[in-house]
Amino acid sequence: MEMKVIEHATCTFCGCVCDDIELHADETRIHQAKRACVLGKAWFLNHTAEHKYPDALIDGRPATVDEAIEAAADHLYNADMPLVYGMSNTTCEAQKECVEMADLLCGLVDSHTSL
Amino acid sequence: MGGKVTCTLGEVKNRADFIVYWGGNPAECHPRHFTKYTLMQKSKFLPRGRKDRTVVMVDIRETKSVKAADIFLQVRPGKDFELMTILRAMVKDQEVSDEQIAETGLTREQLTDLIARMKGARFGVMFFGMGLSMTRGKHMNSAALLTLAAEMNAFTKFVAMPMRGHGNVTGADVIMRWQTGYPFGISFNRGYPRYNPGEFSTVDVLVRGDTDCAFIIGADPGATMPQPAIDHLAKIPTIVLDPHVTHTSRLARVHITTAPAGIAAPGTGYRMDEIPMPLRPALESPYPSDEEVVRRIKEAIAAKPDWMGQQPQMLLSQI
Repeated sequence: MEMKVIEHATCTFCGCVCDDIELHADETRIHQAKRACVLGKAWFLNHTAEHKYPDALIDGRPATVDEAIEAAADHLYNADMPLVYGMSNTTCEAQKECVEMADLLCGLVDSHTSL
Repeated sequence: MGGKVTCTLGEVKNRADFIVYWGGNPAECHPRHFTKYTLMQKSKFLPRGRKDRTVVMVDIRETKSVKAADIFLQVRPGKDFELMTILRAMVKDQEVSDEQIAETGLTREQLTDLIARMKGARFGVMFFGMGLSMTRGKHMNSAALLTLAAEMNAFTKFVAMPMRGHGNVTGADVIMRWQTGYPFGISFNRGYPRYNPGEFSTVDVLVRGDTDCAFIIGADPGATMPQPAIDHLAKIPTIVLDPHVTHTSRLARVHITTAPAGIAAPGTGYRMDEIPMPLRPALESPYPSDEEVVRRIKEAIAAKPDWMGQQPQMLLSQI
């Protein structure tokens, strides 16, 4: 099978954020993560592009992303004191959206740092 | 840099000849920290690599990292703040009694030797981990260590850096500081950002039951937080964005599966020394990215009528 090679890939498992990883991947999974440590290898090799989970769940039942987005917006809009929390395993671009959303909601925003 | 006396890991790699790890276990939690930045690298200023560097490990137990260190100081659990305060005094030749030193589990000889080495260093760096910042004293411990590093600059170049874990948690601090002026524990409920950890920090807010809706992204509090906080999350509508169906997803009202950042979603992540790194995803996910989903939720909320004046919240009901 044809393997795609990604050089200088970035590992976001721990705070070191090593950016010298060489990934060998096919369509669905990463087969090799050169120069990555034990934790990094596990991180890259355990995530796949398979459709393993339902797109979304509402009250435990499978739903579409559109329905879930609408439900999430309703819950957040109807709350008096919504909380936006986490933002560790995500990108800065998503974090910026989160802060903006908390601002719009007049809510709380917090990360792992406060634990 | 949020006021810290710090530097980048590149400077550590090229210049640091005296390295302290306090309450951290890099051998197991940041496996490439030693080899890429602190121990093994040779440079113009440290041509003999490991031989030119002194490594001190301060911890309450002998972790795997201790094997790599030249000096191991075993501090009594919960006495880190006391030890740092004593060091700050001894650095300035102030008197410290034997009883006070004995309380930390160390001897006067060990501390005198440590201070002589610290003052003799050309470039000292102190890395501190969760063993310091998440135990008794918490952020006061971090503050004491950062102050010690700052005060050491009266004698030689000295810096400090937190050993951040959890991928892009540094990025969260940076983004919140950029957008609001504060790093975490922020409330917008008066329409402008206010910062008060203890009042607006998540565990406290959940345990007191102050929040009536939670939006969780890139975290799994259902697996890590104290039980009363988890109970409250199960009681209120909780929304989870995660690449997996997590513990938190199971008690949430809404879960949306997203592409894992850095593996199937592009973007930026911050290294622990606050250097932004571009992510280079290797896979194409069938799921949307966090950024896309959060933006769409935000837009759906913005499309609803403004609540001001219709649903009196904290601000209006207080007037």
